[in-house]
Amino acid sequence: MSLGALDAARAYGRSIGGLGNSGGGLGGLGKTDTGNKTTGFGGMVEDMVTGTANQLRAAEKASALQVAGKGDLIDVVTAMGAAETALDTMVAVRDRVVSAYSDIMRLQI
Amino acid sequence: MDLNTSLSVSATGLRAQSLRMRVIAENLANQDSVAKTPGGDPYRRQVVNFSAELDRANGGTGVKVDGVDTDKSSFERVYDPGSPAADASGYVLKPNVNGLLEAADMKAAQRSYEANLSAIEAARNLTMRTIDLLK
Repeated sequence: MSLGALDAARAYGRSIGGLGNSGGGLGGLGKTDTGNKTTGFGGMVEDMVTGTANQLRAAEKASALQVAGKGDLIDVVTAMGAAETALDTMVAVRDRVVSAYSDIMRLQI
Repeated sequence: MDLNTSLSVSATGLRAQSLRMRVIAENLANQDSVAKTPGGDPYRRQVVNFSAELDRANGGTGVKVDGVDTDKSSFERVYDPGSPAADASGYVLKPNVNGLLEAADMKAAQRSYEANLSAIEAARNLTMRTIDLLK
């Protein structure tokens, strides 16, 4: 029992040492992670939201023109399709992020 | 994304085919339109020319209407001295529109439009199913 635990501890130490010797590995990952955590993820969400909003606005404009009798049906269809795709993608990504977040919140400390 | 590109390419196809459909409708509507002046030329059949065009914004090669040209074939001469468009010898020039040809062309335009619609539907389905992977 104690021998097994000792072996495990030694193996653990070896693997940590190996990671440290190889450089870059764990340290590099941690650095980039903390470096652009706020701008990276926040920026991504912001980009997605503004992109979706722009496409929804374009779709709305096209359909308003169509209702007024000045638009092109094909424009409406393509704009609506693009907006729908963007919105669906954003909603799916948001759901994923929220569920990951609540998974983290549910972790036992 | 490439599926978006294929959507916009299909949209150019829809636009081109709807213009072709309009020109066919004009031809069919005017297949009996004669000249306004005696001895003048009647309505001349119109044909649409398409060409491929690269959209630099998304890299897709869509279709572009190159222009609407007139059919250069000769008119039919019909003896009808009572018509206001008749020339000195009583002959009237009739448009060079052939109803059968227009009907066949219309069918082709319709099929092509439907093909583009199916392509749009397929691309949208694929996009939606890809998004569903996230859910």
